[in-house]
Amino acid sequence: MAREFLGEFEELVLILVAALRDDAYGAAIADEIQTRLNRDVNLSAVHVTLYRLEDKGFIKSSLGGATKERGGRRKRIFTITSAGMATLKSMREARMDLWKLVPQLKFSV
Amino acid sequence: MSTKNDRHNKFDVSSRGGSLFAMRALRWLCPPVLYEEIEGDLLQRFHRECVTLGEKKATRRLTWNALHFLRPGVLLRREWTVSLTSFYMLSNYLMISLRIMRRNSVFTAINVLGLTLGMTGALLLGLWVARELSVDQFYDDADRIQIVWNRERKSDSDVACWSATPRVLAPTLASDFTAVEYAASFADYNDSYLFIAGEQRVMRNQGNFVDPEFLKILSFPLISGEVNSVLGNPNSIVLTESFAKLLFGGKNAFGETLTIAQGDYKFPFTVTGVLKDLPDNTDFHFDYLLPFSFIESNYGKEENWQNNSVVTLVKLKEGSSKALLNDQIRDLKKKNVKGEDTELFMYPLKRNHLYSRFENGVPAGGRIEIVRMIGLLAVILVVIACINFVNLSTARASRRTKEVAVRKVTGALRGSLIVQFLCESVLIAAMAGVISLVFAYFALPLFNSLTQQHLRIPWNSPAFWLYFGAAVITVGLLAGLYPSLLLSRLMPAKIMKGVWLGQGSRSRLRSALVVLQFGFALTLMVSLIVVYKQTRFLQQRSVGYDRNQLIYQYLTGTLTGNPYAYREALMATGAVASVTCTSSPVTQRMSSTSGIAWAGKDPSDKTVIERFAIDQHVSATLGVEILVGRDLDLQHYPADSSSALINEAAWKLMGFENPIGELISDSGREWRIAGVVKDFIFTSPYRRVEPIVMQGAAAGQNMTGVVHIRLVAGRSAREAIEAVAKVARTLNPEYPFEYHFVDQEYARKFSNEKSTLWITAVFSGLAIFIGCLGLLGLSTYMIEARIKEIGIRKVMGGSVIRIVRLLSMHTLRPILWSIVVFSPGAWWAMNWWLQSYEYRTAFFWWIIPAAALCLVLLALFTVVFQILRAARMNPVSTLRSE
Repeated sequence: MAREFLGEFEELVLILVAALRDDAYGAAIADEIQTRLNRDVNLSAVHVTLYRLEDKGFIKSSLGGATKERGGRRKRIFTITSAGMATLKSMREARMDLWKLVPQLKFSV
Repeated sequence: MSTKNDRHNKFDVSSRGGSLFAMRALRWLCPPVLYEEIEGDLLQRFHRECVTLGEKKATRRLTWNALHFLRPGVLLRREWTVSLTSFYMLSNYLMISLRIMRRNSVFTAINVLGLTLGMTGALLLGLWVARELSVDQFYDDADRIQIVWNRERKSDSDVACWSATPRVLAPTLASDFTAVEYAASFADYNDSYLFIAGEQRVMRNQGNFVDPEFLKILSFPLISGEVNSVLGNPNSIVLTESFAKLLFGGKNAFGETLTIAQGDYKFPFTVTGVLKDLPDNTDFHFDYLLPFSFIESNYGKEENWQNNSVVTLVKLKEGSSKALLNDQIRDLKKKNVKGEDTELFMYPLKRNHLYSRFENGVPAGGRIEIVRMIGLLAVILVVIACINFVNLSTARASRRTKEVAVRKVTGALRGSLIVQFLCESVLIAAMAGVISLVFAYFALPLFNSLTQQHLRIPWNSPAFWLYFGAAVITVGLLAGLYPSLLLSRLMPAKIMKGVWLGQGSRSRLRSALVVLQFGFALTLMVSLIVVYKQTRFLQQRSVGYDRNQLIYQYLTGTLTGNPYAYREALMATGAVASVTCTSSPVTQRMSSTSGIAWAGKDPSDKTVIERFAIDQHVSATLGVEILVGRDLDLQHYPADSSSALINEAAWKLMGFENPIGELISDSGREWRIAGVVKDFIFTSPYRRVEPIVMQGAAAGQNMTGVVHIRLVAGRSAREAIEAVAKVARTLNPEYPFEYHFVDQEYARKFSNEKSTLWITAVFSGLAIFIGCLGLLGLSTYMIEARIKEIGIRKVMGGSVIRIVRLLSMHTLRPILWSIVVFSPGAWWAMNWWLQSYEYRTAFFWWIIPAAALCLVLLALFTVVFQILRAARMNPVSTLRSE
C-alpha cells in the first residue's frame, strides 16, 4: 500500500483528535481550532476532513454522548488509531530533521 | 430554570423558518449515517452563538453552516437507493386511470377532445408567435447590427420617424466613424429586369442593390463565393440558390455570366456568389443582389443628402458604444445640408420587426402588440379547455369518493392520492397533446394559407419537444391540481357513513369558471363581429376609380423608349379604350415629398404629398372623376407635359379658391394645375386619402415606367388581353408579356384584414365550441345528479315546461353573468382595436347584445335536448330503483 500523506489541515485535525481524546468530535475540534489558532474554519470543512481521515485509517469513530444542548443528537467521537499516531510521529520527526537544516539566527536585534 | 427550558425549546429546528428549510434539505440529502451527529454539532454551535451573537444572527449562521454541509465530501458518502414501490404505484395509477377513463367514456371524450382542440389551436398560434419572435434574430453578432433611422420634429406634438436614408450615408459612416465596423446601403428600387442566361429568360423585380459589406453585416450563408470579394466588381451579381437553379438549371451557377436587360440597355454580369435560400424568418426578401458600384460606375455617385432612397445598415465594432455613436451621427444630416433639421439615430435590427412603430419620436410598440394578443389567445384557448377538465372532475368527485376512501383505509397518504390524480390529469393532457400534434399537422396547411406563412412543425428540434412536453405537463398539472387537492381531502370515515361534504362552495367555483370561459367566448365573439364589420367596411369603401377591365404593365424593352407607338397599335386593335403611362401602378405609391411648393404655402408646413406622374387621359383610363378643370391631353395641349392634376385633398391642403392655372414647384420644376380629380384610394384603404399631385410627364422619359390599359367594356377580358399581348409581342419580341389586373392588386391590400378575420373566426369558433363541450358535460352531470329530483317534481305535479325552465336557468345563469361581467372589457378592447384604423366603422351598441344573444342561443342549443329528454322521462323509471 502506498503511503498516505497528510495535508496541513488534515494534520492539524489529526493532532486535535489525539489531543482531545474522548471529547474529539466535529464541533469541539472546530471550536479548538478557532480558540487556539484563531483561525476561522467552517464546521463542514472539519467534518469532511474527519471523514477523509477515517477513510485513510488514521482515526476511527463511534457514536455516543447525547447532550441536551445538542437537541438530543449523539456525537460522533473520533479516536486516533495506532497508524494515525505513527504517521503523526513520523511527520513530526521528519519536520524536526528538516528544521535542523535551517541556519538558526542566534542573535536578534 | 424556566428560561433555560425556553431556550431549549428554541433548539428545536422545526421552530425556525429559514434554517428549517436548510436543515430539511440537509436531512434529505445527507447520508443518514452521518446526519445525526452533523445536526447535533450544528445545534450545539447554534446554542453557543445564540448566547454570544444573539438569536437572529445565530439563526442566520445556522442556515449558512447547514448549507455548507451540502458539499461533495458529505453528499457523495450517501448510497443512493431507488424505491421500486413508487414505480409500482405509478403503474397502478396509470392502470386505474385508464380503466376509469374507459368507464366514463363520455366525460373522457369531452375532456380529451376539449383539451385537444385547445392545444391544437395553441400549438398553431404558438408556432406563429415563435416565428414572429425569431425574425431577424439569427445573424452572427446580431446585437451589433443597427438600422439608421431619421427623426424629424414637425411640431412639438408631431415627431416623425422613418428608416429611409440617403445613399451617401453608408459610405460616410464607414469612412468617418471609428465605431462602425461595416456600413451598407440596401436599396429596394422594385425595378423589373429581364435576366438572360443562355436560352432562359426570366423577369424579376425581387432584388436589391447593396454595398459589398451587406453580406458581412447580415450573415446569410454563401454556398459558393467568398464573402470578402463577393460584390467587389461592378459587374458581379449574387443569386439565391433557387433563382440560380431557375436560370442555370442543374449547372453550377458560380462563375457563369448572365445578361440583365432593361429598356434598351443590356449588361453582362458574372455570378460571384450563390446564397443559400433565405430563411422564412427574415424581413429581407430578394432573389439577387447587385452592387451599388454598378450604378455608380455607369451613372456616377449620388451625393444628395436629401434623397432618402435606401436603408442603411450598420455593424458596430465589438465593444464600441452605441450611445456615443448615436451622439456623433445625430446631426450628420444637418451638417451636410443647410436648413435640414432631421436627426439620425440607430435602431437595433433585432427590434426592427416587432418594435418599430414610433410615436412622437419614441418607440411605441409595433407588431409585438399583435404577437402578444395572439399569444394571449393561445393561452385563453388552453385555459378554457382546462376549465372543462376542472369542472368535470370536481362535478364527478362524488363518483370517486369510495375509491379514495378505500385507498386511504389501506394506507394511502394524502400526498400519494394527489400524485395519483395528477397522474391521471397529466395522462389525459398527454393523450390530448399527442392527438393535437396530429390535428395540427393536418390543420397547418390551412393555417398557413390563412396567415400567409410557411410555418411547419419542427419535428427535429429538441427545443420544440422540450417546450411542447413542458407545456403538456403544465397543462396536466394545472388542470389536475384543484381536483386532486379536493378529492384527496375526503375523510374515509365520513365517506363510508355516507356523509358528503357540502356542495355549495364548489358548485359556486364551477359557476365562476364557466363565467370566465364564456366571458372569453363573448369577447372573441364581439371581436369577430367587429373585425368582420371593419373588413366589410373597408372593402366597400369607394375606391374612386374603376378597377374592372383595367390592367397595368411595366414597360419593358423597346416599349420603354417609345410608348406612343405601343399606344397607337393598342388603340388600333379595338380592344383597348384608353392608355395612360404612369410612374407607378395606381395601386402602389412610389414616391412622396414634403418639398412641393405653391403660392401661399406656410413655410413650416411639412405635410407629405404623394407624387404620381402621368402622361394624359387619366380620367378615361382609370375612371377617376374630374371635378374642376380638365384632364391632361398632349394632343390638344402640347404643353401638358408641364401641367398637373391635384386631388381634392391636395386642393384642400393648398387652399386655393380656384386652383386652375396655379403654379406648383417640385425639385426645381414647375407645373401648372390643369384640373382637380375626386379623391381616390392611392395608398392604403385604411387611411384617409392623402394629397396627391399628378405631375404631367411626356411618356418615354424616365418618369413613366408603367402603362395602364383600359380594356373595352362589353368584351371578354381574355380576348382583349390576347389582342394586347399580340401587339406587345410584335413590338417587343425580346421580353415576355406580363400584366396585372388592377382589381386583383387592389384586393391584395386587404390580405392582412382577411387573415385577421379568418383567424378571429376560426379561433373564436374553437373557443366557443370547447366552452359548449364543457357545458354539455356539466349539464349531463347535473341531470344525472338530479334525476330523482326531477322524478319527484313530476310525481308532485311539476310540468315539463317548468322543469325545463328550472334546469335551463341553472345552466344559463353563469353565462348571463359572464355577459354582464365581460361586456365592458369587450367593448373597450374592440374600441381600442378600431382606433388603429384611420378609416373605421362605427362601434354600434347592438354588437354586444347580438354577440351575447348568439352565445346564449348556442349554449341553450347545446343543452336543450338533454334537458328535454330528462324532463320528459317517466318518473317511474327513475324512482323505481329504491
